[in-house]
Amino acid sequence: MPVRVNLDRVLLERRMSLTELSDRVGVTIANLSILKTGKARAVRFSTLDALCRELDCQPGDLLTFESGPPDSDD
Amino acid sequence: MRALGPGSVSSFLKIILDVIYVGLWIFVSLLSIFTLIALLFSFNPDLLARLVPISDAVESVSRNGPLFASALGAWALMMGGWMLIVERLRRIFGTLTAGDPFHPDNVLRLRMIGLILGGLEIGRYIYTAMSHWLAPSSDSKVSFTLTAWFSVLVVFVLAEVFREGARLRREAELTI
Repeated sequence: MPVRVNLDRVLLERRMSLTELSDRVGVTIANLSILKTGKARAVRFSTLDALCRELDCQPGDLLTFESGPPDSDD
Repeated sequence: MRALGPGSVSSFLKIILDVIYVGLWIFVSLLSIFTLIALLFSFNPDLLARLVPISDAVESVSRNGPLFASALGAWALMMGGWMLIVERLRRIFGTLTAGDPFHPDNVLRLRMIGLILGGLEIGRYIYTAMSHWLAPSSDSKVSFTLTAWFSVLVVFVLAEVFREGARLRREAELTI
């Protein structure tokens, strides 16, 4: 997918583990792993809001667009 | 009225499907046994003559036996097709009661139901044409029923709806 998730980089900068983030934002570790590995199809604004609040960052720090072929729907 | 659970429409439909499935099982089994018996007697009239000492009955069976057996066999096949449809409907219903009606397998199940319905209709044409050819005295005629083909179309449309539902389900699963 052309939209890349930089959650692992931001977590590293904040010296925060995925488990700690999961506890803070109320999203399961499994779902955060899906997000971190770029397998997520969509992100809710409420999730993005919670992530930015807890990581003290902007949505642009978490997501970047890289031009490339779009994924198929199936 | 509740959608799921005891006293709901789905529980009522589940009972109906279960009853029909069991009924069809019994009916298909009996038809298969009768077909085998009819085949046995039609190809071995001496056996029938020993069991039923009425010469008219034996002559009638040896004359009409193969036709009767093939009619029974065709009926058993048709009922078998219905049983396959009900079996798939029960599986679809299983996913509904499990709270996951847009399971990807349901798309294939619905397509299979559509194919079986179409196959049964084509089989009916073939059976009617053959019975008219083998027994010209019978008043059977090949009749094109639009309702049957319309139901096939409805099932295929529903399968496509379920395919889209399965895609949305997949997307919802990967929405964080």
